[in-house]
Amino acid sequence: MSARHSVVVRLAGESGEGVISSGDILTQAAARGGYYTQTFRTFPAEIKGGPCMYQFRLSDEPIWSHGKDVDLLVCFNQEAWDLNWDSLGPEGSILYDVTEVTIPDEYLPRARPVRMEELAKEIGGSLRAKNMVAVGAVTGVISFDTTPIEELVLRRYAHKEGVADANIAALHAGADEAADLKGRYPLVAPVEVEEDRMLISGNQAIAVGAIAAGVDYFAGYPITPASDILEWLSVRLPQTGGLTIQCEDEIASLASVVGASYAGAKAMTATSGPGLSLMGELIGYAGTAEIPVVIVDAQRGGPSTGLPTKTEQSDLNQALYGSHGDAPRVVIAPVSVEDCFFATIDAFNYAEQYQLPVILLTDQGLATRLEVIHRPDTSQIELTPRKTSKGVARDEYKRYEYTPDHVSPMGIPGEPNGMYVATGIEHDEYGHPAYTPEIHLGMGHKRWDKLEPLKTTGRQAAHGDAHPTDVAFIGFGSTFGPVREAIDRLLEQGLSVGSFYPRILMPFPADKVIDFVKDAKRVVVPEVNFTGQLARLIKAETGIELESVAKCDGLPFTAEAIMDLVTQEVAA
Amino acid sequence: MSTRKPNDFKSELKPIWCPGCGDFGVLASLYRSMADLDLDPSQTVIVSGIGCSSRLPHFASTYGIHTLHGRPLPVAMGVKLANPELTVIAVGGDGDGFAIGAGHFPHAARRNVDITYLVMDNEIYGLTKGQASPTSLYEQKAPSTPFGNPEDPLNPLALAISAGASFVARGASFNTKALTELITQAIEHKGFSYIDAMSPCTTFNNTQESWKDAVTDVAPEHDVTDRVQAFDLALRGGFALGILYRQERLSQTERYKAILEKAKPSDVDTMLDGFNARKGAAIGKPA
Repeated sequence: MSARHSVVVRLAGESGEGVISSGDILTQAAARGGYYTQTFRTFPAEIKGGPCMYQFRLSDEPIWSHGKDVDLLVCFNQEAWDLNWDSLGPEGSILYDVTEVTIPDEYLPRARPVRMEELAKEIGGSLRAKNMVAVGAVTGVISFDTTPIEELVLRRYAHKEGVADANIAALHAGADEAADLKGRYPLVAPVEVEEDRMLISGNQAIAVGAIAAGVDYFAGYPITPASDILEWLSVRLPQTGGLTIQCEDEIASLASVVGASYAGAKAMTATSGPGLSLMGELIGYAGTAEIPVVIVDAQRGGPSTGLPTKTEQSDLNQALYGSHGDAPRVVIAPVSVEDCFFATIDAFNYAEQYQLPVILLTDQGLATRLEVIHRPDTSQIELTPRKTSKGVARDEYKRYEYTPDHVSPMGIPGEPNGMYVATGIEHDEYGHPAYTPEIHLGMGHKRWDKLEPLKTTGRQAAHGDAHPTDVAFIGFGSTFGPVREAIDRLLEQGLSVGSFYPRILMPFPADKVIDFVKDAKRVVVPEVNFTGQLARLIKAETGIELESVAKCDGLPFTAEAIMDLVTQEVAA
Repeated sequence: MSTRKPNDFKSELKPIWCPGCGDFGVLASLYRSMADLDLDPSQTVIVSGIGCSSRLPHFASTYGIHTLHGRPLPVAMGVKLANPELTVIAVGGDGDGFAIGAGHFPHAARRNVDITYLVMDNEIYGLTKGQASPTSLYEQKAPSTPFGNPEDPLNPLALAISAGASFVARGASFNTKALTELITQAIEHKGFSYIDAMSPCTTFNNTQESWKDAVTDVAPEHDVTDRVQAFDLALRGGFALGILYRQERLSQTERYKAILEKAKPSDVDTMLDGFNARKGAAIGKPA
């Protein structure tokens, strides 16, 4: 069989069986071996029990999605088969635990039993080694080097006598299973492997991006799928002299972030939809009192508790409009793991420059997926300083002074000439409570007009034809990758297609969108939510005709699904 | 010797409170205390929530942050953690602190956030015109409790002591000399200082005369370091004015300082190196 450029592997089992750690180890080993990888996982909202799944795709070439058709499905138990059989590609093979799983007859020719539990107990010394047998079996079939895995196992269990050896023995035993499938999916070996590659998740890229942006203070409350950021910064932020605190709720988290920023710190919190709802009132406060804050929302399935461990893009409306009154904010949606790093720096820069809340929208898929990216060049990072009262004479100082760019000097406690009272009540230029029509109108202009330049200066994302004549895709956030992959294939087929992804959704770059679609026969708006929130926003802002493709099953788009949208006409 | 006068802490805005409001007495005590302590106004931040008493920062010529209803404590914590050099004083009413903001109070206390929290307790919602508050008495009649309040009041002092506040005192707006002294000691105390300032609402719940008759002083033999005695005094001691409890314990600021000293210095480039795919990035672990 000729070597392939991409293989998709899916591991499935019960939470607690080591499915996720198997996937992590394989991904890590693949990245170490010079492959590009992208992962996708779902797991139950419970700690023990419930189905979980880890899919990873590896390739010698850069990839933009986690893949649709599974080449190798590994079933740890019967439920894993029952829930995942339909993800198998037409040529896909199956590895399954011989004691746990029954495979229907028609699939048996491409299914191979693996003695996962048996070998785990016999050779690995414990049922816990089941996942290592499975990892070994995978490496046998798709034939990649087990050396990196052995190193990883040794490192992970270095502190536990004998455990590493037992795991490695289980790994080797697994590799000898399904012997006749050996080498069934030969991969093209990576040719050029740059030394600057990183394996990193969206949440980690945000956390390290915040460090690059100079974050001083982080407060958060545990919530899936954003908790990684709190945990990572709890370790790392003190290493740069900053401080991370776990608060009693999301309200306290953002309130303390507001306080820290008021005192001059670069401050941030991270949450998911339910937490963002709780923060709503403070978002309006920070917008009115003009205090810079950064809020990460790793979206999950909603409404209410919803699907805490699945992906969705349904907080767009709440990010754009959440809070009472006309509350200004910037909403920015990174389009890839790499962009999570840069968008976080942008978020801090916009917050500091415009003195308001910036909401960084990701989703469970983007936040938790691991991806091989190139190391960001930190020497190119530019940080925007806050306009402060430094150098302003005391008797001339007005905290909310009307200025040409609508941004006023902020007094920072400790500065002798900047004393003022920050307030959410309507106020005059001095910050004194004031309610006249002139003042309310003037301050309303100040709060909103300062954002106008961002519509043209904000960095957006795009791929393919700049003015496509066949299909123009508009989306936000994590759908960028599968759409990009689909565009590349469609361009090869001779179609004129392209995507425009407003990274900055508030203020909305309406003129850029109108220009992008001017020649397009079709405008297609894929998004992962029920009501087509982005499509409604685009219609409201631009009035253009479009086809809304709102998909709401807790799963991300695949490139194949995007291709299908082009080949099959979609109802408007 | 202080060079500052109480008047130096007055802003150009005049308080908008009703004539006779207890908050005037509390504000006067705060001005005097800040002068006695010779606080640098530009190093002082007064944080408030929403309510009549929460307008206070506007009447002081220091830094101020007039936040949302119920949120002065977490905001004050952020201010203090971001710049430990600042003197941070949170103020508000009983509704702000013990109804909508009650979720934050025990946490500020147990963390021993190094701030002073001064609650002007009038046992009523004044700004919204007289509804019952969490400290309103059982059977008290108010617009929202026309049949008499069916609820028992919260005891903020007992709550403060049980939750871990390290300085707990009661003062009264009509006894400004003693209140000034309490505020001064509270600001000087390292850790979370709570002062319950009885501050009558002369418009909607005029308790001024009955409170004047009811107050006593904390007995000289009371041991302020004895938490059980303090709790007993908070529960059964009527309206004893003075310090109920004082404990020397590491403040939040000191605890975070220790964390910073323990952390091994690093930078963004070193952190990025940790994700290097070729060297085996440690997945899921910020090692």
